[in-house]
Amino acid sequence: MTRLGSRAILRALSSAAAACALGSGGPAAASDLNLFSPDSFELTAILRATATDGPRSWVDGGLGKLATNGGGGDFRIRPKLGEANLVWTPQFGWAVSGTFVGTVQGGERFEAGMSQAFLTYRPMRGKTLAFSARAGLMWPPVSLEHEGADWHVRDTATPSAINSWIGEEVRPLALEGNVTATLGRHRLTATAAVMAANDTSGTLLTFRGWALHDRKTLGFRRQPLPPIDGDLEHMQAPFTHPLVDLHGGFAHRPGYYAKLAWRPPVPVRIELFRYDNRANPEVKNEDMEWGWRTRFNDAALVADIGGSTEIRMQALSGRTKMGFPRDGRRWVDMRFRSAFVLVSRPFGDVGLAARAELFDTSNRGSIADDEYDETGWAATLAAKREWGDVTGVLELIHVSSSREQFEELGLETKQQQTRLQADLRLRW
Amino acid sequence: MLASPLCAAPFTVRVVDSSGKPVRDAVVTVRPAGNAAKAPRQGGHFVVSQKNMQFHPFVTVIPVGANVSFPNFDSSKHHVYSFSPAKQFELKLFARDQSRSVHFDKPGVVALGCNIHDQMTAFIVVTDSAWTAKTNGHGVASLGDIPNARAKVTVWHPYMRAPGNAVSRVIAPGDRGEGFKVALRPPPMAMPDY
Repeated sequence: MTRLGSRAILRALSSAAAACALGSGGPAAASDLNLFSPDSFELTAILRATATDGPRSWVDGGLGKLATNGGGGDFRIRPKLGEANLVWTPQFGWAVSGTFVGTVQGGERFEAGMSQAFLTYRPMRGKTLAFSARAGLMWPPVSLEHEGADWHVRDTATPSAINSWIGEEVRPLALEGNVTATLGRHRLTATAAVMAANDTSGTLLTFRGWALHDRKTLGFRRQPLPPIDGDLEHMQAPFTHPLVDLHGGFAHRPGYYAKLAWRPPVPVRIELFRYDNRANPEVKNEDMEWGWRTRFNDAALVADIGGSTEIRMQALSGRTKMGFPRDGRRWVDMRFRSAFVLVSRPFGDVGLAARAELFDTSNRGSIADDEYDETGWAATLAAKREWGDVTGVLELIHVSSSREQFEELGLETKQQQTRLQADLRLRW
Repeated sequence: MLASPLCAAPFTVRVVDSSGKPVRDAVVTVRPAGNAAKAPRQGGHFVVSQKNMQFHPFVTVIPVGANVSFPNFDSSKHHVYSFSPAKQFELKLFARDQSRSVHFDKPGVVALGCNIHDQMTAFIVVTDSAWTAKTNGHGVASLGDIPNARAKVTVWHPYMRAPGNAVSRVIAPGDRGEGFKVALRPPPMAMPDY
């Protein structure tokens, strides 16, 4: 049982690059190569000021749902570096490109690493069919809220609980194929992928519950877990590496994800997504990080309802299991659900967005039982304005959650947090 | 507008949607009957740029024989293509401040797309009439010097609910203005790149 190393990733990417080059019909012409020109690089950064109340953040060893520390009743403004990304998009031929993103995250915990590293093969589409493929370290196409190589949030500063979790625990090494068919005024896209190195997905969601933040899991970096009490304290490491393959040999037990997206002849898009990491819940590494068999379904809808008003809805429901059976139940057996509605509309030069969401978890494990259950909601208001390569975002967010387990940690079972945040996004 | 002076006064067309709001980017073509028709001027150079992940302008009217250049002002590369019978072409990846040019030698509607960015859509209308213009933000197109003769007026819009996305009407000699009320489909929603 080995943690996936950088050499393994490089080997996987090299193989994918070779396959892509063969698929593109031979070696690239010199004019199609564009590896290190200035156009191949982009630098983005987020500078922010925040004022948060409530508990200390989960990022800093607390249980707060946001990524910034609350000062209890103190509502102080704190300037911070949100993040900075160096994006390299080399072109290996007209149909083969790379996306490599190095990320530095500030805030309550400073860390640096690679957030994405993948190759894309995109031949010229036909009149009816279009094919493309990706291979490497990348987020699956789940989020309705993120865009760009640096995976920034579109309409708000903070993504929903669903897409916060995708950003932190659902970023495998994958080989993904896409086919898009244009049938009259309908367009249908099917995506399928085999994946590996996402065996611990579900750990953070189980022990911490849902959270709302724009922190991303960086390659080989670990995420802290909140204090674990009871029997599990001695069974589980106090951290989790979301990018890890626990089975003997790389990709011996690959998982998969698949997606269908349909665009009918009205301004609506519907997406269905299925994920299963197929991890063995009975294996662990030397750090006591376990396999978490995690599966979820996600349904999404985007609709333009006129007047440039757009509605985005996403609902996710899943289940994760860990450990050995005891009395017919594994140590952890958790169901999790969340859904949000996001409405956005431009008013002159300012884009306004409002989001409401619900989330919960339900535990029926032989060790982690209903004391780990969580219910909660969040509401977000954001205004965004662009000035060329500079974008300003002002956001007010409130999160409320309830979890019986907090009582055993000497905390109130109900936690609330409110934050006002101003982001300045820069792009070079 | 592509017309050149002939003999008569300007002809104005106003296009509104089913709720009475002006429709911009509708293309109005007038074809006078018989000997009054004349060939448009040929050639010329036009520009369809790519900026903020969109083509600009959304609709361009050009005469047969014109060249169109496609400068890219985005930091992202674009891969412009068309499968339209009037002109099939592809311009493989080109980066910021680079441009490619295409010659359009047949009349018809050319739908543009980007192989990388699904949300990018635009149209080039290649006309063989001397009297073709697109409506402005007030839904108005003015065509100068229409012959004093019977003529067929066609209004086309990429999202019009009509066969061929167009409606036509015959006007009498001396008619100096027409109004069209058309039904439009909402624009299709872009599929995400990933």
